[in-house]
Amino acid sequence: MRHLRLINCFVLSFALGLISINGIAWAATLKVCADPDYMPYSDKAGEGFENKIAELVAKSLNSQLAYDWASYRGNGGFSEFLSRTLDAGKCDVVIGIPYGSQEELTTDPYYASSYVFIFKKGRGYDVENMDSAILRKVKLGFEEGTPPQDGLKIRDLIFDAEAFHVGDDAGISPGSMLEAVQNGRIDVMITWEPAIGYFLKNYSDLRVVRVPNTRAMGSPEQYMFSIAMGVRKNDEPLCAKLNRVIAAHKAEIRDILDRFNVRLYPAATDNP
Amino acid sequence: MKANNIHRGSIVSIIVACLLSISTLALADPTLEQMSTDAKQWVMPGGNYSVTRFSKLNQITSANAKNLQVAWTMSTGTLRGHEGQPVVIGNMMYFESAYPNYVFAVDLDDVGRMVWKFEPPKNPDAPPVACCDVVNRGVAYADGKVIASILDGHIYALDAKTGKVIWSAVNADPLKGQTVTAAPLVVKDKVIIGVSGGEFGVLGYLSAFDLNTGKLVWRAYSAGPDEGMLFDPQKTINGNLQKPVGKDSSVSTWQGDEWKLGGGTTWGWYSYDPKLDLLYYGTGNPGSWNPTQRPGDNRWSMSIIARNPDTGVAAWAFQMTPHDGWDYDGVNENIIVDLNVKGKTVPCIVHFDRNGYCWVLDRRNGKLVAVHKYDPTVNWAKSIDPETGKPEVDPSKMTKAGVNVKNICPAAEGDKDEQPASYDPITRLFYVPTNHICMDYQAFDVKYKAGFPFVGAILNMYAASPDVRGRFIAFDAITGDTRWAINDRFQDWSGVLTTAGGVAFYGTLDGWFRAVDLKSGKILYQFKCPSGIIGNPITYMHKGKQYVAVLTGVGGWAAIGLAAGLTKGSEGLGAVGLTASLGDYTNLGGTLMVFAVR
Repeated sequence: MRHLRLINCFVLSFALGLISINGIAWAATLKVCADPDYMPYSDKAGEGFENKIAELVAKSLNSQLAYDWASYRGNGGFSEFLSRTLDAGKCDVVIGIPYGSQEELTTDPYYASSYVFIFKKGRGYDVENMDSAILRKVKLGFEEGTPPQDGLKIRDLIFDAEAFHVGDDAGISPGSMLEAVQNGRIDVMITWEPAIGYFLKNYSDLRVVRVPNTRAMGSPEQYMFSIAMGVRKNDEPLCAKLNRVIAAHKAEIRDILDRFNVRLYPAATDNP
Repeated sequence: MKANNIHRGSIVSIIVACLLSISTLALADPTLEQMSTDAKQWVMPGGNYSVTRFSKLNQITSANAKNLQVAWTMSTGTLRGHEGQPVVIGNMMYFESAYPNYVFAVDLDDVGRMVWKFEPPKNPDAPPVACCDVVNRGVAYADGKVIASILDGHIYALDAKTGKVIWSAVNADPLKGQTVTAAPLVVKDKVIIGVSGGEFGVLGYLSAFDLNTGKLVWRAYSAGPDEGMLFDPQKTINGNLQKPVGKDSSVSTWQGDEWKLGGGTTWGWYSYDPKLDLLYYGTGNPGSWNPTQRPGDNRWSMSIIARNPDTGVAAWAFQMTPHDGWDYDGVNENIIVDLNVKGKTVPCIVHFDRNGYCWVLDRRNGKLVAVHKYDPTVNWAKSIDPETGKPEVDPSKMTKAGVNVKNICPAAEGDKDEQPASYDPITRLFYVPTNHICMDYQAFDVKYKAGFPFVGAILNMYAASPDVRGRFIAFDAITGDTRWAINDRFQDWSGVLTTAGGVAFYGTLDGWFRAVDLKSGKILYQFKCPSGIIGNPITYMHKGKQYVAVLTGVGGWAAIGLAAGLTKGSEGLGAVGLTASLGDYTNLGGTLMVFAVR
């Protein structure tokens, strides 16, 4: 009966219309939890590379970007940050988390970088890896609780080395690690390159050499890591969406990282 | 009392004899060992050198315990975990709080007044490297001095009358990841104290300081060359094999220089046999949680060691968990008891280990006498060799890089952590506060410290039976029988006291302080204290009345989430998810509780 079909179409289009209106409402906001004061990663003014990547993702998803701000370096550290923000539903994605972390569901990695040796060019040190002889003779610095610390421990180099606490203390800039090399307090700093790449422009004297993964001491030592985004463990749909964004925007992501001097090294899948 | 010649029928002689005896006593101050036989006092952390935590007092009985009530209380002025106990010398009680380690002196004749209070200088470097809450396990007393260990490694000898510092020594450096949480033990003229920091790669050691001057007399490391360990290759006995340890018995079981960060920390309880003149203690986990980084048996981590207290030289060592993959620190107390083994009396030590086994060793030479599980769920080992103590590890329970190994029992907290058990010589049973928990463990997992990726272990601990994470048990160490058990919702992390009145005392993690009938396990009395209980009850007499005292103030590893304000599982070395609902039942807050029958 023709009039009935017309009514059905009308009802259907109206319903579809409603759904599409609601559909736009759902996808309108991308909620990101991020640190208000941790350059070069993120800050409230949106100056960090995680902020730039968040903007790119939101645009790609046709969404507005909204932030829930909380320190990565508060009491209980990054795990506690995740518990109180992402897991508590205050946001839906964190921009930077190691690929393969068990704490959340990670997307495909969008970059891989490495721990690096940093020292003054003028010193002429011959540094290639953790077994380089010069390391036994000079003052070393490292970030507390990171792979270089383990590497120094098993080579008996830990006792005279100095631990830095950039990842623990919300008041400290990673730039302080470069400053320590510049002013001579530390001869060779071993740290995560993306944390300090941004500040290197102020220190033209410094040379950066990657620390390669190794099994030289018997046990596996991993210094190169892939970084991904993180969503809640059951949020498969958002994870899939983000993966599509990453795949479609490889070049733009690389550009952002390049502007922040985040050096890209072969992925951590290059196992020793 | 020396025997004097008494002439029969001579009253004058008898009187003279008695006067001589009295003056002899007055001239020679009682030794700490003698004082520990006076049940009216509680003069050392474990009650006595055998650490039985048993009292001969019997005024409180299984018949009148239901009439117990709170006699008086006192805030310690601190939050965080109170894992120790007071000492009572005459009419004075001394106790120490969690960090910032206040030491209090209370006159029991006037409990409203603190005679003195000692506040050591705060060292902010210490709390961040204290893995498992900023606890303290109590003061020691000797020779008019109160000896207090402080989290940052200072050891103070305080004048018991005034609280003034007589000497101070340093036993740890927080900048190296070292802290001190243990209660010291005074043996003759030595203060014995160990160190914490296994999670930070600290090479463990036991130190002896001179009681009068605070000078370091000896220090014995838990791993490394024989000289540093104070091991004699020919004389020190390998308890497992019953033969001399030989040269390099430690170094040969580590790869390269890994022993330097070999762990084997020594933060548990110390006991002493004055007749054999041997000091007993246990060592902790071998450094890195990732066993693939340290192939070998990793001696002498996870071991019970007997040493001469004057020289520190080791008489014997017995390893319980070679090449540890589960963090079963061997630091728990070694209770000194002579036991009837197949009709013979054997001088033993009894050790309820983190690994879920109760180890009974001959304390003369470290020979294994008996070994039994004290929790039925233990599954990391298929069996223990009854001669050598060597475990046959279940390969499916060995932790591995990159693999989440599920359902390992016990969890890293062990079936019992430092919370001390008690031995009742009347029932000849051990009363043990246990954890009833299992874990999933992934040894090599990528993690993130804000801005810095790394690899580490992740760990999820959970109840071994639905809603039962703790069991208070009466256990026969020779047969392995459990006579009775009280099942508790949370781990039983307090110590135990047993008394000749037939009553045992313990506290639950959510704050119930209980008096229990030793024979039947029936709860005779309980009181909900201001905070969860991880301290150890003691008992003493004052003006003819028996009192039981315990420190409440939840914290420690079991409640680290609560103590540190964390909400995420796998933070705080895995303990948070396990006790996640504890916050529904209790808050932080240190209080001394003292009970008596009305």
